[in-house]
Amino acid sequence: MYLLYRSLTATVVLLGASVLTFGLVYLTPGDSAETILIQQTGHQPSQEAVESFREEEGLNEPIPVQFVDWLGSALQGDLGQSYYSNRAVTELLVQHLPATIELAVASMAVALLVAIPTGVASAVHHGSSIDAGSQLVALVGVSMPNFWLGYLLIIVFALTLDLFPVAGTGGLSHLVLPAIALGTGMAAIVMRLVRTSMLEVIDREYVDGARAKGLRGRIVVYKHALRNALIPVVTVIGLQFAFVLNGAVVIEVVFQRPGLGTLLVDAIFARDYPVVQGVVLVIAVLFVVTNFLVDLTYHYLDPRISLGGGTR
Amino acid sequence: MTLLTVDNLHTRFETNDGVVRAVDGASLTIDRGEIVGLVGESGSGKSVLARSIVGLHSPGRIVEGAIDFDGVDLTDVSASTRERYRGTDIAMVFQDPTATLNPVFDVGEQIAESLRVHDDSSGQSLLDFCHVPLVSDRSRWRRHRERAIELMDQVGIADPEDRVDAYPHELSGGMCQRAMLAIALAGDPDLLIADEPTTALDTTTQARILDQLRELAAETDTAVLVISHDFGVVADCCDRVAVMYGGEIVERGPTDRLLESPEHPYTRGLLSCLLRADDGRDRLPTIDGTVPERFDGGPGCPFASRCSYGTDDCERRDPAVRTVGPDHEVACHELEAVRADDSPAAAGSPSESTPPGRPRADPSESVTRDRARADGSRTIDARGRSGSAGGSADRGDPILEARGVTRTYDLADSAIQRAFGDSRTLRAVDGVNLAVYPGETVGLVGESASGKSTLAKLLTGLEAPSTGEVRFDGEPVGTVADRTADQLADVGVVFQNPQGSINPRQRVRETIAEPLLERGWDSECRRERVRELLDLVGLAERYGSRRPHQLSGGQLQRVAIARAIALEPRVVVFDEPVSALDVSVRAQLLNLLADLQRRLGLTYLVISHDLDVVRHVADRVAVMYLGEIVERGPAERVFDRPSHPYTAALLEAVPRIDDGTDATRLEGPIPSGVDVPSGCRFHPRCPIAEPVCETDEPDSVAVGGVDSHCHFAQQVASRGVTEDSESPRDQSPDPPDTTTR
Repeated sequence: MYLLYRSLTATVVLLGASVLTFGLVYLTPGDSAETILIQQTGHQPSQEAVESFREEEGLNEPIPVQFVDWLGSALQGDLGQSYYSNRAVTELLVQHLPATIELAVASMAVALLVAIPTGVASAVHHGSSIDAGSQLVALVGVSMPNFWLGYLLIIVFALTLDLFPVAGTGGLSHLVLPAIALGTGMAAIVMRLVRTSMLEVIDREYVDGARAKGLRGRIVVYKHALRNALIPVVTVIGLQFAFVLNGAVVIEVVFQRPGLGTLLVDAIFARDYPVVQGVVLVIAVLFVVTNFLVDLTYHYLDPRISLGGGTR
Repeated sequence: MTLLTVDNLHTRFETNDGVVRAVDGASLTIDRGEIVGLVGESGSGKSVLARSIVGLHSPGRIVEGAIDFDGVDLTDVSASTRERYRGTDIAMVFQDPTATLNPVFDVGEQIAESLRVHDDSSGQSLLDFCHVPLVSDRSRWRRHRERAIELMDQVGIADPEDRVDAYPHELSGGMCQRAMLAIALAGDPDLLIADEPTTALDTTTQARILDQLRELAAETDTAVLVISHDFGVVADCCDRVAVMYGGEIVERGPTDRLLESPEHPYTRGLLSCLLRADDGRDRLPTIDGTVPERFDGGPGCPFASRCSYGTDDCERRDPAVRTVGPDHEVACHELEAVRADDSPAAAGSPSESTPPGRPRADPSESVTRDRARADGSRTIDARGRSGSAGGSADRGDPILEARGVTRTYDLADSAIQRAFGDSRTLRAVDGVNLAVYPGETVGLVGESASGKSTLAKLLTGLEAPSTGEVRFDGEPVGTVADRTADQLADVGVVFQNPQGSINPRQRVRETIAEPLLERGWDSECRRERVRELLDLVGLAERYGSRRPHQLSGGQLQRVAIARAIALEPRVVVFDEPVSALDVSVRAQLLNLLADLQRRLGLTYLVISHDLDVVRHVADRVAVMYLGEIVERGPAERVFDRPSHPYTAALLEAVPRIDDGTDATRLEGPIPSGVDVPSGCRFHPRCPIAEPVCETDEPDSVAVGGVDSHCHFAQQVASRGVTEDSESPRDQSPDPPDTTTR
């Protein structure tokens, strides 16, 4: 029931996203048929060529009909051809997606592994030097632009210390530096949130209740308090995923990783609209799916949030 | 055999404003299997004392004294040893069960944890407790969960097999408190500390929880320390009582002795603040002043500043502890003076405002006890007119009226859910007629979830009725959005929790002036009116510039009242106005309400689950159950001779310091308004239900001026009469049982 309800809303969101994506081509200045032909042939096309291209590509149909056509083929996995490389957009996406997902997951993992324990320690030792120290580090982490951090990491760990490869893809070692570069900003934000949230929770009566049972401090903090403190944090983590994808565009360029970011940047410069459309659509799908997962996690963390049905 | 001895304990808190001496030389003993009560107002140090015993007094520090538990001084052991005592030897139950249970774990898990701690208190592994696969010992957890079901059954949770998987928010407050009890019992403790265990609960639930505590002490030889601000609660279940003030125990002794012959002026004050069935409408005795925020900790009696017997000596020298009877000790310098004041009539309140000779119940006094009322209508009311809607000539027209008002809530919260056929609705208020006449006080009583507060919201226009209409002065009125400025000004509202209803960032002055500002008063007039209002509610002018966190609960409620009467309303609706307050503060506020009504000619609607409060203030009462009014009539009549079994059961559940009888308890929780029982809504819980109750909805029956929705109203009422004539002081007749009907 709940899954059905959520899938329905997710579908509505995706439909909205696809309308916007489709509209991209029409929002750009200039006649698209002409632009495409210029790009394909390299010279100004004749009037007849433009007309026949329009006829061929269905560009003379009313826009809603074009949209339905586009959506129909998109659902079958056909997002058109790249104007440039003449390869199917879907093929390009499949080729570039894994690198980006790898990076996103790795940087999220780095962020959470650092942020949660630090945030908890910071809250438990509220006002101590641990707290002050981690607050300072968090401030630096939040303020540092990720591409700059990326270059710093390359200079220190790749060029000087030669611990990790400078760029490109390969094994895990290629992932470490970009993941840190991308994860740091998020870690800082999440850490501060965990700290605030923990501080709020740690004075609650159920924490005293858990202590009164005779539970050890660590179990009280990590089982009883943290589980409650994570509820607001999870929302932000879901939204931060957009931040990670945005960041990936920049970081992939810095580390020359062949991911969606690189693909998107190249496509934009080349006015390769079908590819831009495809990448934007994939990012929208990823975003909707992550937030769907966040909602599920929500219910796991807080049974008071009902999955469908009544609120009482 | 003595289990716990607290000797001259001092617990202090270092704050930015200096040292707070929360516990300042308290001594206390508890024997095995004994129930001891600890009584005092908020701020007297009760909870800190309890927390010091359990070892949860952080960030406070124990600076002096000893806590001897079964031969071990707990102040003298390492933190980890202390931790081992927690849960296994000393368990604690807190005030608000819905806040003390962790909302994200089911109750089975929370009880199982406690069992696990008891099994193996030294080897707690985080991964095991987090149920990490492979690391966690699943079969042991499963066994503990099964034990949890047994424990739930033991503390009186019905259907424990189903409830073991329930989350706290799915259970009622009483059920949660039972689960807390199960958690506490899981460790098989020698000492159970219950800190205000029933303050957050309904009267009916409170009675059952107190029964449970009594049984527990008797069956398992567990010692119990019950902490409460309410003498009634403690008197109901304790063998001995200690009275605490200013971090010290000022008096202690056997419960009976303390109730019959209290010695310390503070104990006497607390006892006299209690509402009694025979109070009538008198001004209530109060204890002058309020508990200071901090005690200086110098020598002298902490109560000296509020005590009417206080002398210079009291301020200078610590009072010696004197033994005044068997096991009865009191710390007071002026005992002779206090006793000299005793006369058979005067119950001996230290307060100046106490009228000499608190009247005993005497039916002939019932009219003279009534406050003088300008229009004199009250006497007529009290003479037993039925309170059905559509009043008659001698009372004038109702000022505020609900006509066939129903409020339902859709439980499906989205269009898609509704599209899939989720059409469940909750009937919070179901076809209610209620009329409030000018100058009178109508009381509305019932358990939580009976629909009282929803009805108040409908009457004040904070919510719109689904069907039916609300009339003000004979005119149909809509919600606050539709009411005219005059109509809005004519109805004031005061809510239960002033901390929640007053903006924490505004100064008191701004809070009170807000309705004036809304009405367009200029700043000069506003200032003048705020000064007037502060004076009316008994707050000094300097409080105007304070912020809410600098005020006590009682003072904040005064601010809320001042705001409600700022625009000179004709009707004020009070939703549980004193439920969150100490008994002493409650008495002061009830006096204030009576004064305001007399001076300003106000009409009141007072909603409360506390029958004593309603009995004290109301001319007429309406008893609400599951969205319907099941009984209504003149207050004295309804409370003395209830003609609905629900009213009788509510009365029965009120803890009394003057009855030692075992009362019949209302079984089970109030059903949900989603699946309303057929026929008479009360039948599943009714002690006298017959088959007809299950099928036929009872009509209104008039019994001696009271409207009752019960098939057996006559029998219920006549049963009450016989009881009543035998003992005029006992207001709570036994509900009739099936054999006598």
